[in-house]
This record gives sequence, structure tokens and C-alpha cells, in this order.
Amino acid sequence: MDSTLDLKNCIERRRVRDRDRERERELGLVASGCSREHQRVKVYRLTEDGKWEDQGTGHVTVDYVERSEDLGLFVIDEEDNETLLLHRITPDDIYRKQEDTIISWRDPEYSTELALSFQETAGCSYIWDHICNVQRNLHFSTLNHDTFHSVNSELRELPAVELSTLPLILKIVGESGITDQMRLTELVLHDPEFFRKLMNLFRISEDLENLDSLHIIYKIVKGILMLNSPQIFEKVFGDEFIMDIIGCLEYDPDVPHVRHRDFLQEHVVFKEAIPIKDPMVLSKIHQTYRIGYLKDVALPRVLDDGTVASLNSIVHANNGVVVSLLKEDNTFVQELFSRLKSSSISVDSKKNLVYFLHEFCTLSKSLQMVQQLRLFRDLVNEGLFDIISDILQSEDKRIVLTGTDILILFLNQDPNLLRNYVVRPEGSPLLGLLVQGMLTDFGDNMHCQFLEILRTLLDSYTLSGAQRDTIIDVFYEKHLGQLIDVITYSCPGGCKILAKSAVENLDKHSYTKPEILLNVCELLCFCVVHHPYRIKCNFLLNNSMDKVLYLTRRREKYLVVAAVRFVRTVISRNDENLNNYIMRRNLLKPIVDAFVANGDRYNLLNSAALELFEYIRKDSVKPLLMYLVESFWSQLSKFENLTSIQSLKVKYEQSLESVGTKPAVNVDSRKRVEDRALEKEEEDYFNEDSDEEDTASASMSHNRRVQAHPVSSNGSAPSCTPLSSTKPGGLVDYDDDEDDEDYKPPPRKQTEASDADEGTLESLSVKRKIAAKEEPGLVKKQRLDKNSKPKESVFAALCTTLSQTVLPNKKTASVGENASHSSNTKSTANKENDQEREAEVARNHNDENSSADENGSEKNITCQRNSDTSSKSQENGQLEGEEHPHLPSNSSTEMVVNGS
Amino acid sequence: MSDLDKQIEQLKRCEPLKESEVKALCLKAIEILVEESNVQRVDAPVTICGDIHGQFYDMKELFKVGGDCPKTNYLFLGDFVDRGFYSVETFLLLLALKVRYPDRITLIRGNHESRQITQVYGFYDECLRKYGSVNVWRYCTDIFDYLSLSALIENKIFGVHGGLSPSITTLDQIRTIDRKQEVPHDGAMCDLLWSDPEDAVDGWGMSPRGAGYLFGGSVVTSFNHTNNIDYICRAHQLVMEGYKWMFNHQIVTVWSAPNYCYRCGNVAAILELDENLNKEFRVFQAAPQDARGTPAKKPAPDYFL
Repeated sequence: MDSTLDLKNCIERRRVRDRDRERERELGLVASGCSREHQRVKVYRLTEDGKWEDQGTGHVTVDYVERSEDLGLFVIDEEDNETLLLHRITPDDIYRKQEDTIISWRDPEYSTELALSFQETAGCSYIWDHICNVQRNLHFSTLNHDTFHSVNSELRELPAVELSTLPLILKIVGESGITDQMRLTELVLHDPEFFRKLMNLFRISEDLENLDSLHIIYKIVKGILMLNSPQIFEKVFGDEFIMDIIGCLEYDPDVPHVRHRDFLQEHVVFKEAIPIKDPMVLSKIHQTYRIGYLKDVALPRVLDDGTVASLNSIVHANNGVVVSLLKEDNTFVQELFSRLKSSSISVDSKKNLVYFLHEFCTLSKSLQMVQQLRLFRDLVNEGLFDIISDILQSEDKRIVLTGTDILILFLNQDPNLLRNYVVRPEGSPLLGLLVQGMLTDFGDNMHCQFLEILRTLLDSYTLSGAQRDTIIDVFYEKHLGQLIDVITYSCPGGCKILAKSAVENLDKHSYTKPEILLNVCELLCFCVVHHPYRIKCNFLLNNSMDKVLYLTRRREKYLVVAAVRFVRTVISRNDENLNNYIMRRNLLKPIVDAFVANGDRYNLLNSAALELFEYIRKDSVKPLLMYLVESFWSQLSKFENLTSIQSLKVKYEQSLESVGTKPAVNVDSRKRVEDRALEKEEEDYFNEDSDEEDTASASMSHNRRVQAHPVSSNGSAPSCTPLSSTKPGGLVDYDDDEDDEDYKPPPRKQTEASDADEGTLESLSVKRKIAAKEEPGLVKKQRLDKNSKPKESVFAALCTTLSQTVLPNKKTASVGENASHSSNTKSTANKENDQEREAEVARNHNDENSSADENGSEKNITCQRNSDTSSKSQENGQLEGEEHPHLPSNSSTEMVVNGS
Repeated sequence: MSDLDKQIEQLKRCEPLKESEVKALCLKAIEILVEESNVQRVDAPVTICGDIHGQFYDMKELFKVGGDCPKTNYLFLGDFVDRGFYSVETFLLLLALKVRYPDRITLIRGNHESRQITQVYGFYDECLRKYGSVNVWRYCTDIFDYLSLSALIENKIFGVHGGLSPSITTLDQIRTIDRKQEVPHDGAMCDLLWSDPEDAVDGWGMSPRGAGYLFGGSVVTSFNHTNNIDYICRAHQLVMEGYKWMFNHQIVTVWSAPNYCYRCGNVAAILELDENLNKEFRVFQAAPQDARGTPAKKPAPDYFL
């Protein structure tokens, strides 16, 4: 292994060095064809001091060794055509294939390790197959020639099994080589009486307390098990012998006597939750337990990997047989379920039934995939999830957790089974129970399963269609609020801001353990990533972010860190509405406060906050940067010795300089922001006519910048102003200049737009219509502009009014910006929507209840960033736009393969 | 004797804890680890240990050679789990020691302290086998996210599991990593845990591991110079002699899993630094067969199927 690693390193080093040379050669080698490349290898030899020495490069072939019938590996040096290597292929198991490109072996003639490193995988597997073929033929011919009979003539038969011959038998068993072992196996199996006699001797010796014989028998039995023969296993694990075999294993001379049989016969309890009638099933069940015992308890140190693997596969096969036999017995499953459903059984037998069900489902992993899926479907049809719902309401926490374990088994097999159930009316209580479970204190027991299950249920990457919408709808409507309230309620000062009804609901969780809050926060981050649109509506409408951020008031630092991470997750959505919201509600304040309170301590909180600031700085989330520095510099300046804090200021000043404005921190407006954040009764601010205020607060930092950014459609600046009146500048410009890639709306229009503030409402519909009519141009423009920001701001603006935008194709983007104004606009837009269905420009929500969207699904936020892909899929009419599966990159698999 | 002390004794006998004990231990550990920095400061004297990889009995040898914690101050450079038979017991013992003696043992993260990697290389399966569910694995991998990324001994020796990163020139830059996450596939955090020094590379090279980089002597020289450190101490690569200097004593690899994977035939080493940072490598062999207890599972007391 070590030499292997060294070899790998060595080869890697060569590769790096030779890469350039090889590339040249490859270019020149085109003519000679690729089959030649397949055979190109480097030959390595392990020197005495343990280094791999490069012997040269050449081409490998398999051919007959001169003047013999033996096949060999030949490597001919590519430089001088000399034979670099000649190796006769032997039937012995000396070859190893590594990493798909290396074949190595211990060469008897060179008496050292040799290795071929192939240029191409294909070449390596080609030669490897050849070697295996040759070996197979060699084995075959040896068998025909009865070689080992001549080599070891004593092995023609075994001596009679008697006390006196035990040492001799042990000698044969103990000393047989690899080839002899096959013969020995044959002989042992050939004698039908062998084990019966041996076990007789064992019982006699035990009666006589003849320890010497018992020790010998132990060794013989051990040796025979190590032959790793399926036929022998079948024999010795049968009902007739297995207990005696295990008895023999009690007499390991190196270990004090362990009474395995006592344990198996007297201490172990075989529980029958439901009586099993089939004797075959019963026998398999007992056998499986005993084999497991033998493997894990009696012989774990002795068995080699191969034997362990064989035993495992016997257990596996047994489990499969047991499960399928029980399943085929219709009455069995029915009886199990009817007992589970019955209310008249005792707590104890209920418990056993649940444990049994769990074991039954666990063992079904031994079935083939298809069968397992069929079994699970059948169980579901029999009402399994109803039973689980019932189990989850059990008093006994262990039972509840076993119920969740069963759910996880089903989710691993096919998450849609559970999803399909949960979306049905009778299934929705189960979702509630899971949420409830997540909030329940399970004392010492681990209960991270709940988070796991909810995550799987809500995973947008694997959810599809209506099912997804329903689950997410139900979750957001009924449960998300509760989860967030639990956080707020458990944080200092939090319960004051909760509605009275919410508090009453929560009273039973008067003390929620910190680890539960941690899980809730993790689930929220998950939701931000998976349902960005839905959760945004929730955040904007319910001030949920504010509530979550109460976590920063907790004493446990890891909860404060979790809050920072939550904000970081939200900000990394790069959603300007959310960013604006963060600024308007001054939501970085709790983060900055926590950072400042943490002082100079260099801990996870410090790092997490700094990383957040870095992100704001580096990823040019300019409005946030402005807000961060302008609002908090007095607090942050204390930390100017930290590079990242210093850089914040530098970047801030740079941005100001670049726009030619004085870096004056507007204290007044900052104060206003803070004041606003302190207002408690803002729950419904969203429905109020917030225009004025928004404009006002936004203007404190935005207007100035916008003015300074005449080319706003291209930069990020406009993204900070969807709420301000200066906004809808570049919007209508899409339809001209479609061939100008770097098109920037002339500043003239910008001013015009801001002047037209009052007229926006009217102009909205006009513009919409224009847009709808001029689709073709839009489409093009859209394509050209796919990387530019304006679209983003447009979408964001659309979302501000909680309109849901459907993108049948690339037409939409330019339209709805104006919709960003007020609730009045909302209804206008709504009307618009009906009229302009065919254009499918934008569909608005009727009310704040954002989640109840009949056509559902969260569509197109990703379009902002990902317009290319999303619009493609939308062209196909598949409106799954929003949450593109961001699958993990391939590199992970590589990491996995190479990890050491 | 406190519960924790009892648990440490139990773990020293290679007996895993109950789920509930693991949970409590992990929650305590989080509180401690959250206070640690990405470059955790460590005082000398200290003993630095490389990869352990679940080789519990060999780790006991290590403690025999290096002295018990808390008497000896330890720095473990990651890769506690996977490959060996006792990842659960190994990691829990180290974690329990950390909770019991937070200032006398420092654990930093290796590339195997990751959800993805442990699902392939054994820790996941071991948890499933020993506990019948993967809850313990979930808790432990959550802890991994809190582990520090590197250590700095007396401002002079930089300890890290893998190596350097092209995006890190100063130790200060490590500060702004939010380490509480799964090991990413690229970027500074990934590189610290995955990179390797390499003679044949000048500057930076592609790593055959598929993550991290190969880095050459010049990189190490300028890193050490910039940060005013004497040398880098790292693990991550098997070295047959247990330790190996490179680049003119500017970086040393310490490997603490003897007979790696129970078949590599290598010896292991730990690096002892006294209060003046004088070095002494202590080389040790795998635990003899008879020191390895029977790893027999406790048989289940009852069964349905």
C-alpha cells in the first residue's frame, strides 16, 4: 500500500513533468493511430530502498514467450525498440490493478515489484482482461492435469475422523496451500459423515473434558470455516450442526472459555410480535442470528475479509428470503397491520409491533431494488403511513423515534411515497406531526431525524409538479410561521413582539432547547436556498427575518453564529428586494451588534461575521456595502485593525469617489433607519401605503447614488432602488437598439422616468402593452442583455409587489418594473394580468397570502441569474424554472475516490 | 468521578458511548469549539499528531508513547475517522478529552472530517453498524463543521492538515473563513485540508486527489517568510518513517497511523515540542495483537427477525 502511494506520487510527478512533452508527441502521433496509444506504458521497478524507478516507456503486448507455450507480457521500448520487459504470466494471484491505469505485481524472476503505468485506462483494462484470461486458462489446464495430486499425494483422501487422527487432520487443514484448499474442500464435502463424526468427537471430548482435543477441534473447525466454501457453510450452518460448531468455537486455546451456547440458548430472546408459522422462515431467522453472532462475537478477530464477506452475503440472502416469504403470506402483513391499528392491545405489545415493523422494513434492504420498492408500496397501500402518524403521537419517545426511523427508510427508498401521502388531506396531519416532532424535547434521545425528514420532503431539487407546490404550500401556510415563532419566543425580548394567539399556541414550548432552535434555523436556511421566492414572500410579509434575528440575543454563541449564517444565506441570494428589506429594517444591526459585543475574541462568531462583511464587499453588493458602512462605521471603526474591516471602508470610499460624492455619513437618515427598526407595529407595513416612507428611507442613500450612476442599467446601482421613484429608467428602452450589445439607456430617459413618478400608474399599463406587442424585439434584447443587471432589478421589482411572474419564454423581463410601487399598483397589475394572459407577462397575487397560489410553483427567481438555462426550459413550456438543481460538482466524486 | 470521566474511561476501553451520551457530549463540544479560532493558538510544550483514521488501539499506543492527556498537551491535525475499525470510539474519545480538558488538547479538521468523505470511507457505515441508525454520524459530522482549521504554535509553527492554498498568503486571511460548513470542493478552506507539498512542482500544481493543490518549495518559503514562522507541520500523507521533512526543513509531514489500514507496514510518529520549541520525533509501531481487545460486538439481546 505504501509503495503504491509512493508509486502514485512518483507517477504523478512524472506526469506533471512530461505533460508538455507528451502533448507534443500526441500531436505528432496522430498518424500512428490510437490503438498504439492504448498500449503505451511506463515500466516501474521497486528498488531495494523502496523507491519506484522508471525503467522507460514503451508499448505492451501479450504474446507467446519464445520457444514455449506460455504467454507473457512484452514491453518494447519506444526509443530503441529493445525489450524493456518480458514477464511470463503466472496462474498465481500476484497481479493487482490500481487506479484504472496501473497494473503491478511481485515478479518472481526479477524478485521485486514491477508496475506498468498505462497512458490510457482502456489500454490498462485491455491488458488486465488478457492477464485474467490467461490465468483462467492456466487454472483450467492445471485442473485437467491433476497437478496438485502429483504435488501433494497425501491429499487424495482425508484420514478417518477419530480422536487419534485429529492432529493429522489439523495438520492437513492447517498447512494446506491455496491449491490444496480446493482439494480439501472437495474432500470434506465428499465425505457425508465428516461433520457428523467430527461433532461426535467434539461432544465426547467435551464430556471427557479433554481440553487438548477440544483445542484441536477448535482449530480444525476454524480452519474449515476459513476455507470460505459456500457448500461447507451450507452444511455447518444447518440446524443439525450449527450449535455444535459454535460450541467448538468456545475452545479457543488463546482465549478464556466463553459460553456462546449458553448465551444463544438461554439468554437471547426470540420475540414473535406476530406468530410466524412457516418453519422454513423460522429456521432462517435463527440461522441468521447465529451466523451474525459467529461473525461478530465468536470469531471477529479470526475471520479474513473474504470469509466475512461470504458470511455477510449469507445473512443478506437469508434476510431477503425471510422478508419475501413473510410478505407473500398475505395474512401475515394484514394481521400485523390490524394489530398495529387496534386500540385494544397493550402498550408493551404495541411497542414490540413497532420494533418488529422497523426491523421488517430494515431487512427489506436485502431485497432487490424492485422488490423492495414493491414491498414498500404494498405497505403504504395497506396504510403504513396512517400507522406511522399514530406512532408519532405515542407517549413513549422511543417509539416515536422508531417511527421516524421507519419513515427515513421509506424516504431513502423513494421519497415520493411519503410526499404523495402528505399532499393528500388525510396525510397532512403527518406533516404537522413532523414539524411538531422537530420542536419537541426528546430529552437525551437524538432526534435529528425530524429535520432530515422535513428537508427531504421539502427538497425542491427532487420535488416536481403539483406535489411540490402542495407540500410547500401546506408547509408555508401552516407550519413555517410556527417554527419562526418558536425561535422568537425562545429569545430574550422575543415574546413581546409575537401576536397573542401565537404565544398561546406556543406555551407548551415555553422552554425550547437550543439545539432545537439550531435545527429550526438550519431548516430556514435550507428553505431560503430551496424556495427563494416563497420564503421571500414570507419574509417580506411577516417580518420573519426580524424574528429569526432575535437569535442573536441568545446566550449560546452557536445560535448567534447560526443567525449570522442565516443572514449570509439570505444575502447570497443576491435578491435586491431582500437586500432592500434588510436595509429598510436595519437587519444588519443585530449582526453588527453581536460582532461588536464579541469584541476582539477571534472565534467562530468573529469569523462568520467577517466573512459576511467580506461577501458584501467582494461581491459588490454595493447598496449593502453603503448601508453597512454608513450605518455602522462608528461601531466598526474600533476594529479597523482587521484587514477586512479596513477594506470595507476603503471599498466604500472608492465607490463614493468613483461616483464623485462626498463620503458624508448621513447621520440623520441612519437614525431614521434605526428608529424604524424599533417600531413594533410594523407587522402589516407591507399592506400600508408604504410608498412614501419607502421612498424616503431609500432616498437617503440611494438617490444620490443613482444620480451619480448615469449608466445604471448596467451596474448594480439601480438594483438598490426598486422602491424609489427614480427607478423605471432603462425599462422601456429595451425595444430599440437591439443590436447594441453594450447598450446603456441614455441618462435622459432616467430623469424622464423619475420625473414621471406620479404618472407611473398609468404608464404601467401602457408600457406593459407596448412590451407585449413588441415581443420579438424584446426577446432579442433579452438575449443580448442576459448578463446585465436591469433584468434582475425588473424581476426583483415584480416580486416586490408579490406578483408571481411566469415566463413562458424570454419575453417577460422588461415589463413589470413599474409594478414596484404600491398596493394600488398591485391591483392594477392584477387586472392587467387577466387581460394580458396570452402574453403571460406577469401574474400577480391577490393578497398577501402569497403562498396560496393555485398555479403555484415558485418560478423564476433564478431567471435573474440563470436566464439562459431557465428560459430554455421555459421555452419548452416546462415551468419548473425557479429552482434549478444545483447539483454538486463532479469534483466531489474525484475527491471521494482519492481521499486518503 | 463525573459522568464525563466515566465516559472517558469507558471509551479508553474501546467501548462506544450510548446515543444519548454522544448527544450530550456533542452539545458540550459545540460550545467549546465555537469559541476557537480558525487559526487556533497553541502554547508549547505540545505534542503534534497526524492522521489516526480510526485505529483506536494504535492511538492508545500513541498515548503510551506521548503520555496521557491532560499531562501532555496535544495537537491533533485531523483525519480521526475512516478506514480503521474504530472511528466511533477514536473520535469520541478525542472529543471527550477535548470537552474535559479544552486547553490541553486541540483538534483541527482533516479532509476526512466531512459528510461526503465519511460516507465512502467507513465512518458512516461504522455508525450505522454500531448504533443501528446514522444519528451518531449526523451529530459527529455536525461537530466536524465546528472544528478549527489550523493551529499556530507560539507564533512560530503553523499546523494544518493538508497544506497551503493559493488564496491564502497571510494567516490573517484564514480568519475570514466561515468554517461552519461542509468542506467545500474548492477555495481556501478546501485547500487547507487537501493540499500536498510536492518536490517536483514549482509554485502550484494540480493535485491528483481532485481537490486542493500541490505546492512547491518556493511557495512554502514565501509563506513562512511572510508570516514569520519557522516551519509548517502537516499530516495528510502516509510517510513510511512516520515523519518527513521537505524543502530544507520548511515543512514536515507527521503521520500517526502505524501499519496504516492494518497492512501498510509503516511506522508512525508524533512530534514533541518542548517549551523552547525543541523538536523530538517519537516513532512508534502498531499496537501488538494482544493489546487489541476483542472487537466483538455486544450481541443483541433479542431479535424479531
